[in-house]
Amino acid sequence: MMAQGPRLPRLSDRQIGILFVIPFLVTAVVFMGYPVVQAIRMAFYSVNPLRPGHDTFIGLDNFYTIFDDPLFWDSFHQATVWTLSSIFLQTVIGVALALLLHVPLRGISVFRGLLLFPYIVPTVVIALIWQWMFNPEIGVVNYSLKSIGLIEENIYWLSTPTMAMASTVMLNVWKYTPFVIICVLAKLQTIPLELYDAAKVDGAGAWRRFADITLPQLKEVLIVVVVFRTIWTFNKFEEIYLLTKGGPGTSTFNLAIYSFEQSIANLRMGVGAATAVVMMVFLLLGSILYLRVFRFAEEEEA
Amino acid sequence: MRSLLQSDLLDQVRKAGLYVVLLFVTFLICFPLLWSLSTSLKPSTEIFATPPTLFPSEYSLEQYKSLIYGKDMYFVPGTTYRPKTSPPQHFLSWFANSIIVTFGSTLISVVVSTLAAYSLTRFRYWGRRFIPYFSLLGYMVPSIILVFPLFLVMVKLGLTNNLWSLVLGYVSISLPFCMWLMWAFFRGIPIELEEAALIDGASRFRVFYEIVLPMAAPGIIAAAIFSMIVAWNDYLFARIFINSIQKLPLTVGVMHFFEGVHVNWGLMMASAVMMTLPLAFLFMVVQRHLVAGFGAGAVKG
Repeated sequence: MMAQGPRLPRLSDRQIGILFVIPFLVTAVVFMGYPVVQAIRMAFYSVNPLRPGHDTFIGLDNFYTIFDDPLFWDSFHQATVWTLSSIFLQTVIGVALALLLHVPLRGISVFRGLLLFPYIVPTVVIALIWQWMFNPEIGVVNYSLKSIGLIEENIYWLSTPTMAMASTVMLNVWKYTPFVIICVLAKLQTIPLELYDAAKVDGAGAWRRFADITLPQLKEVLIVVVVFRTIWTFNKFEEIYLLTKGGPGTSTFNLAIYSFEQSIANLRMGVGAATAVVMMVFLLLGSILYLRVFRFAEEEEA
Repeated sequence: MRSLLQSDLLDQVRKAGLYVVLLFVTFLICFPLLWSLSTSLKPSTEIFATPPTLFPSEYSLEQYKSLIYGKDMYFVPGTTYRPKTSPPQHFLSWFANSIIVTFGSTLISVVVSTLAAYSLTRFRYWGRRFIPYFSLLGYMVPSIILVFPLFLVMVKLGLTNNLWSLVLGYVSISLPFCMWLMWAFFRGIPIELEEAALIDGASRFRVFYEIVLPMAAPGIIAAAIFSMIVAWNDYLFARIFINSIQKLPLTVGVMHFFEGVHVNWGLMMASAVMMTLPLAFLFMVVQRHLVAGFGAGAVKG
């Protein structure tokens, strides 16, 4: 059909290959590579977004600024707490739900669909719903907890530091556990059933079958999932910002919000960029870890 | 194979138990969405009723009407516009903007990544081995790191406060993963069929169009879904790139409802539902591909 008309010159394979990859390379350089390089460059400059073209080189000053800032370390600490508790809950709940959804029952695909859906719900939507449900005076959560007698007084979910942290963790777990379920479920479906039948014949109980067959088979996918989720969760912005704006006070700040506030509220884009560079270092370490696991898995398969 | 010794009754009880657990878990996880749907369908008077009702005693489309006809309601001739009441008059433009940027960025991401992935798996040239890995690395970069430098790029291109800045911004988030996904997908498609067609004298373009694309369809669908979700759900880029209220997408737009003195929760929940519905529809149609695609892309590479 096309390319057989006389107007188009017959391209060599190599030329076609390069022609096909050029749009990707251009987009990747302009909208990915360049911004990352810019982010690193800005970390060494004093950048005021209101005065473009007046950037001055200040060496490592931005890094000294953030490392001297107690709020930076608080943010770092809170981000770690947030990440570890989110990942722990996501993994445990995710594996449990994946096992449940793996049982061959009629209509199981409907349940699978419903339990995976939160993953694609916009964070803005979840944040809106959370603010409404967890509203201390008129929210349904406090009302329900009171009516079943679990609490006497209203809990201020979003305006006390501990509870605000717990609420953002809940939001994060609700939205991203499906990611763990998807990955684990995909792996579960590849485990040969013969293994279980053989173990049953040998008299292994349900727990032994889980510990001796399922867990070892899931090990690889769990490592990948945990590494992936840790990298992303540590650097998440919207999940916290939309719910608490980092508050009350600065009690739910993480590095992403710290960087955002430095750039937008304080107009110190260089300081924000220096924070971004610190985030990128973590990212790189995590990615190297991921690629190692990935390569390792590939070699094992071969 | 189920052992014959196991009694049928025990099996039935076990199954019933599993269904009860499944129903309970599903209810718990779906509750936030059900609750927002329920609130959005209540008349304003019932929203704060105690005890709260999951099923409204009276169904009302009041909230949706004020989202859709908000413009007429708030711009009554002769009255002055009151910014403190967080009017929903822009809801329809926000909805349209969201759809435009979602389709635009998905189209670009999918076309560009499909072409590149095909090229990287079928032709030999310098760099073909490490480009996908760099792409994966790009996928890991969170948008908070990209947003300000990318904003400066948009300033240089003269695209700020223009929907194109969002289209291109979303491409920069979704393209790396689409590329990785399509690359993994093309690696799994056997090359023999294409080679046979080439030997029979078909041109490269024809082979690509008639043989490769149909086989790559599941991968393309997964990549498209991923791009759509990225674009539809983004908040940060739109918050930074766009500054006039009519040009916002839904995500940033509806957050403006919080700016009023009194938060209108019914309106809020109606917009939450409106934002979720397109995704719910998409999800129902393509759930199978989503699971297959994400499983392949995220775990296996």
